[in-house]
Amino acid sequence: MGQITIHYDNKIVRNFAWASVIWGIVGMLVGVLIALQLFWPEANLNNQYTSFGRIRPLHTNAVIFAFVGNAIFMGVYYSLQRLLKARMWSDTLSQINFWGWQLIIVAAALTLPLGITTSKEYAELEWPIDIAIALMWVVFGVNMIMTIINRREKHMYVAIWFYLATFITVAVLHIVNSFELPIGFLKSYSYYAGVQDALVQWWYGHNAVAFFLTTPYLGLMYYFMPKAANRPVYSYRLSIIHFWSLIFIYIWAGPHHLLYSSLPDWAQSLGVVFSIMLIAPSWGGMINGLLTLRGVWDKVREDPILKMMVVAVTGYGMATFEGPMHSLKTVNALSHFTDWIPAHVHVGTLGWNGMLTFAIMYFIIPRIFNTKLYSTKLANLHFWMSTIGMIFWVVAMYWAGIAQGLMWKQFTPEGNLQYPNFLETVINIIPMYMIRALGGTIYLVGAIIMAYNLFKTAAQGKLVANEPAVVTELEHSNEAGHSWHRKLESRPLAFTLWVTIAILIGGVVEFMPAFLIKSNVPTIASVKPYTPLELHGRDVYIKEGCVSCHSQMVRPFRSETERYGEYSKSGEFVYDHPFLWGSKRTGPDLHRLGGKYPDSWHYNHMVEPTSMSPGSIMPKYPWLGEQDIDVSLTPKMINAMRTLGVPYEKGYEDKANADLEKQAATVVANLKKDGITVGDKSEMVALIAYLQRLGTDIKQNTTASK
Amino acid sequence: MAKKHDELLDHEYDGIKEYDNDLPPWWIYLFYLTIVFGVIYLLNYHVFKTAPSQDEEYRIEMARAEKAKAEHEAAEANSLVVAFSSDNEDLEAGKTVFDANCLACHGANGEGGVGPNLTDEYYLHGNKIEDYVKVITYGVPEKGMIPWEKSLSKKQILQVSSYIQSLYGSKPANAKEPQGELMAAN
Repeated sequence: MGQITIHYDNKIVRNFAWASVIWGIVGMLVGVLIALQLFWPEANLNNQYTSFGRIRPLHTNAVIFAFVGNAIFMGVYYSLQRLLKARMWSDTLSQINFWGWQLIIVAAALTLPLGITTSKEYAELEWPIDIAIALMWVVFGVNMIMTIINRREKHMYVAIWFYLATFITVAVLHIVNSFELPIGFLKSYSYYAGVQDALVQWWYGHNAVAFFLTTPYLGLMYYFMPKAANRPVYSYRLSIIHFWSLIFIYIWAGPHHLLYSSLPDWAQSLGVVFSIMLIAPSWGGMINGLLTLRGVWDKVREDPILKMMVVAVTGYGMATFEGPMHSLKTVNALSHFTDWIPAHVHVGTLGWNGMLTFAIMYFIIPRIFNTKLYSTKLANLHFWMSTIGMIFWVVAMYWAGIAQGLMWKQFTPEGNLQYPNFLETVINIIPMYMIRALGGTIYLVGAIIMAYNLFKTAAQGKLVANEPAVVTELEHSNEAGHSWHRKLESRPLAFTLWVTIAILIGGVVEFMPAFLIKSNVPTIASVKPYTPLELHGRDVYIKEGCVSCHSQMVRPFRSETERYGEYSKSGEFVYDHPFLWGSKRTGPDLHRLGGKYPDSWHYNHMVEPTSMSPGSIMPKYPWLGEQDIDVSLTPKMINAMRTLGVPYEKGYEDKANADLEKQAATVVANLKKDGITVGDKSEMVALIAYLQRLGTDIKQNTTASK
Repeated sequence: MAKKHDELLDHEYDGIKEYDNDLPPWWIYLFYLTIVFGVIYLLNYHVFKTAPSQDEEYRIEMARAEKAKAEHEAAEANSLVVAFSSDNEDLEAGKTVFDANCLACHGANGEGGVGPNLTDEYYLHGNKIEDYVKVITYGVPEKGMIPWEKSLSKKQILQVSSYIQSLYGSKPANAKEPQGELMAAN
């Protein structure tokens, strides 16, 4: 039994920690900025690069992939080495992982404000960045798996199971959802269309929450909570059962984001039942965490790290109960598209992810700098600011969401909508938007106090870049008598294989019928491909991030068909690469917008929304009239769409621009009649053409058959 | 071979020890219960089809609303007469409706803008109160006038029609050029 001295790499942990702190503050700052814009539109600085639609994805990407992403790497690199008694396999790969990830974040921060986006939520980054993400993720995975293979601990601790599941599943999700056809260096179209694109996107979107915000954090909880509390984990067998049930069931639940949409009923139902079945597996993690603290609750009162962990795990428990409740059709009918959803999300992100990240940072930084925390008082202050900030944030949004949801559905005794003017329901909840921004600001200031505290801690200590540890070489031992799972824990490749199988089943069962069986999307003869000008307009819509606030999915409810018109049919979206159903209605649904208002209404409304809708909180888009679309792209766009299955006739790419000019001239002439002059190549004209087309194809169908 | 309560397993990872305590019974039953719920739910919606599909649900909801609306209208039918009302309360209510919905296109004082001037003696779609009610109710989609029957009650449409009538001859500033036919004042 040879004992040797090895060195853990703390420098890489420190790098990821600082990156997470800095990007976290940036991400939260952008969050506060967009929160301000919702009651004070001028907070977009009258600038297209800081307009809501463009920087809302910047906020989500920054906090998910930069703040939480770097924190995952920080925590995994710290705990993995110690759990396996092995230094990371390759310092070079660690370095590549670090710098590559920061470059990706910088690329995101540059492209999103420029309007370079795929529009798919949490997957907005364009294809070259997607490839970089895939590469960096593989670098991380290879480094992790090779470290596991070269371990000096026979069995893998539960934290590592979660890390492996995270690596495999995020890779699968990212690659499948990012299938897109490039038409240029920074522009592509989703391979999937309409209903199928929606299904893939929400399989991804839901499981990005599951496998980027949940499973790695459960792994971190399993390491840092017993360490910080100095208590044994409550139940090993609970770990096993909740791990496997969680990863198997989670992957099925994506369709609950599409209840009462054009997604076929059977897929919606699978989303419902698997979401409900997810309650116990999720709570398994919460129980194992909270029961680990038995006997140290007196310490919890004093130690800011444990306090934050308790709030984090409690937030996790609340969010994972609420999620399944939102998946019940009756609740979803009210909550979907309202602020209730961001409230739910932020219990998870501000509570579970934020608080656990902070706790882990307070744990790691003093240790790797071989010192004590600079100020426990400030850490306690940070704890209270985070908690109170979060409460302000979510309570305001619960209120806003439920109130607005009820207003949308309220009818008068005469059978009319009580609030036919959508704007009225928005103005009603603006005070709540103010309180939300206040809560977010408190949370942000707390994070800044933490940054100060941590940097002071680092300054008073000295980084132990290579921390020595005396470890025992691994010997072959007999595993007879061990349970099958215990044996599996010493076979990382077999373990990884089983994980892969468990997470693939749900996706395969839901995708195969949706892609292969035609009856799932009944065709509608009158639905035709977009004209070239409308395609350009659609790209403007994508670029400006209109989908952040406007849905294109009229749900089959009386309250929606009365307000918007006929409910949306799956066959209407067959040429939508990507789909633009949206997930939030800060403004009204737009699927039946076509033909509802004259062209000049749209022009005036884009330039000055309050001129057509007094009190509107929509930002102004004056640049749409000044910037031109790139008509040299038209042939490429047509060709790309044809490759993806849109039936443009052969050779149409060469005639497309002639049609484009003709249609643009009509829009320009319409505007001229109302005294408006605008360039025929302007983004405004293309966007108006697209908006006027929205949802009109099936109307022609009904008039033709009359 | 079940371990006793709070008996440590014989391994540790970086100092982390584990118990192997029994799963809390309520947790196990919760898990079973959700699985049973899932099975019943799928059977209910997709095998026995005892629960309606979302399209059926919509049709049921609409039929119910239709019935309620018809009953309400039958009860109100006699109280509403399509005629100009100079009643102050009606005109006030009409102005409120106008300011909330019409001013964006027809101007704050009915002087016109995107839509025609409502105060002059030229008419595109008739000059009687019944004509107003018809235009407001069903709209003139080809000219950009939106139908309001879904968002305004019959009473509100009548009130706003009266209000518009009351603007006749008010000669607001920035009036839009006349459109339509010259008709005698009424």
